[in-house]
Amino acid sequence: MSFKKILLSILSFYTLNLTAQCCSGGVPLSNNLGLSQEDKGTIQIGLNYDYNNLNTLNAGRIKLNEKFRLRTTHSILLNASYALTNNFSAEGLFTWVNQRRIITSQFDGSKNTEASSGIGDAILLLKYRFPNVFSKNSDLTLGFGAKMPLGSSTEVDSGGILLINDLQPGSNAWDFIYWLSTSKRFNFRPSLNTSIRFTYRNTGTDNDYLGNSTYKYGNEFQGFLSFSDQFNILKTLANPSLSFKYRDTKRDQTGGGEVDNTGGNWVFIIPNFSINITPNLAFSTKAELPLYSNVDGTQLTPTYRITTGFLFKIKPKSNVNVLNLN
Amino acid sequence: MKKIVFYLFTYCSLLVSCSSSDNGNDNDNDNDNTDSSGSSQEWLIPISDVKDGGPGKDGIPSIDNPDFVSAENASFLNNNDLVIGIVKNNEAKAYPHIVMDWHEIVNDEIDGSFFTLNYCPLTGTAFAWESKTKNTKTSFGVSGLLYNANLIMYDRNTDSNWSQLRLECVNGELINDQPVLYDVVETDWETWKTLYPETKVLSTQTGFNRTYGTSPYGDYSVNNNRFIFVPEITNSALPNKDRVYTIIDEEKAKVYQFSDFNNGKAIRDTFNGKDYLIIGNDKLIYGFKLSEDQANLTFEYEFNDSEVFFKDNEGNKWSIFGEAIEGTRIGETLSGAKSVISYWFAIAAFYPNPEIYSEL
Repeated sequence: MSFKKILLSILSFYTLNLTAQCCSGGVPLSNNLGLSQEDKGTIQIGLNYDYNNLNTLNAGRIKLNEKFRLRTTHSILLNASYALTNNFSAEGLFTWVNQRRIITSQFDGSKNTEASSGIGDAILLLKYRFPNVFSKNSDLTLGFGAKMPLGSSTEVDSGGILLINDLQPGSNAWDFIYWLSTSKRFNFRPSLNTSIRFTYRNTGTDNDYLGNSTYKYGNEFQGFLSFSDQFNILKTLANPSLSFKYRDTKRDQTGGGEVDNTGGNWVFIIPNFSINITPNLAFSTKAELPLYSNVDGTQLTPTYRITTGFLFKIKPKSNVNVLNLN
Repeated sequence: MKKIVFYLFTYCSLLVSCSSSDNGNDNDNDNDNTDSSGSSQEWLIPISDVKDGGPGKDGIPSIDNPDFVSAENASFLNNNDLVIGIVKNNEAKAYPHIVMDWHEIVNDEIDGSFFTLNYCPLTGTAFAWESKTKNTKTSFGVSGLLYNANLIMYDRNTDSNWSQLRLECVNGELINDQPVLYDVVETDWETWKTLYPETKVLSTQTGFNRTYGTSPYGDYSVNNNRFIFVPEITNSALPNKDRVYTIIDEEKAKVYQFSDFNNGKAIRDTFNGKDYLIIGNDKLIYGFKLSEDQANLTFEYEFNDSEVFFKDNEGNKWSIFGEAIEGTRIGETLSGAKSVISYWFAIAAFYPNPEIYSEL
């Protein structure tokens, strides 16, 4: 396998964050959508564990000194892609999520937990890469996808009461996803890569919200600026990277009106470290830490997020032979 | 290659086994709080109409050690800010909406009388009721549940759930119990401090960091087209968010609008076979259920920037809480009506097809 492809694979491993409602936990749809474009016939399978912790209460930009509300989302993310041509690929992402809301009573310190778990929503994404479009060693990729409401939005608590949509595994709405990315490698250090990615999620509406209303999560824009390099550590190929993410979401809407205490904008720093266990199997771990949070109203905002997992590539036989010859 | 497949398969299996151990619902409350819906599955109201409001049980923290300031020191209040007022044993207290919006419940006491002042910002309803269940002092907290967009509280003795506007325990050990109400009024700060200049005011030093003065619900209180939780029954007879005064008697309700009391007015009315006096102006309305003796009196609005709010034909002068403070009946009290100020839609949802007062 070529060095650049490996690097590109790893760099692209975690690029697109499509959490439905980061400000409140929400439906976690991948920290790892956006697998790299590989040679025709290549299959990639990613399996990741994702933990999202929201324990910071903000009023606008002001962090309130209060920790009694905790929203967590544990997710298992399975994604798979297939390169239909050398520049065109299809990717699917499937999720299993566990949503938890834990409130520590300020009266007696007791903890009250509500949770749901199950199969979450899924994404199908098609991408086309335009190689060397700006200059040599650079490319531009456009993508379009849909988030499919496979997850349940009708989970109830042990008393039979319907949980709020934020705690449901699914959103009961179709979203459309637009993706644009570009990357550049440098002649002075070919392993150094810089990339920029933009995603826009046009959210759909749950028309059966609470049985008699509608709910629409706010549209979301995200931009990434990433730098990565590659080193040989103890005879193992290591791929550290550092990304900055800007995220902006509009307010949610219900019954035609805006929902207070939703939406906002954030800047995150995302250190990522991955190693190639074998030429076809990479292990990766990353953290996502907020540098700046400016929420609409008062709301829980991300405290940290950790994602770790494997990416496995199955090359077509002819390509494997070529690689082996190399 | 086989090794790789093996490792991947092992990892998959591990994750799948984790997921299969935690499906459906999960409630693992500590300290014996079994779940947010109380200890019983039986509800007096349709469970499908009970909604998870989002913040969770105690996610909206009640104020259990309230701090008060004098009227002079309540500079955080504007004259037109709404307050909920209570007077017991000549001690007056005011609970500003701008604080209650963020806490909904204050567990408080006046001169040994323990009560829970509760306010639902989504229906605009406030009550004070005795903090006692099973003859034991208790306190109440926010359950995080809503019924017809209205607050459901839980009591900390039994974890039973109480519907605020239904005025009844609707789930749990105390199901069917009804609270003992204390009289409260709702008016603006200017009117309240005129009536009771010595009042204490719930301060913003609550122990919690909140943007008091900024509503957590935006324009909800004035936007007639906006619901966060849609009630099961709506009624277009009045705009949804019109603030109205309602007398509740059993399952029935009669609604009075502020426009009925322009420039101050005393209205004698009969509702559900009982005689009522409703007194008010464009800022404050309150009503009384009259005894046979009191029904013979003629009342008249008289508010001249003092505690006196109305008078009768015997020359007695009465406070807004129905206490005779001047005249031959001094010390006598009128019985406060079971009543509430609320948004119109809330009354229409809880007490369908309420009667609307009209002079005609």
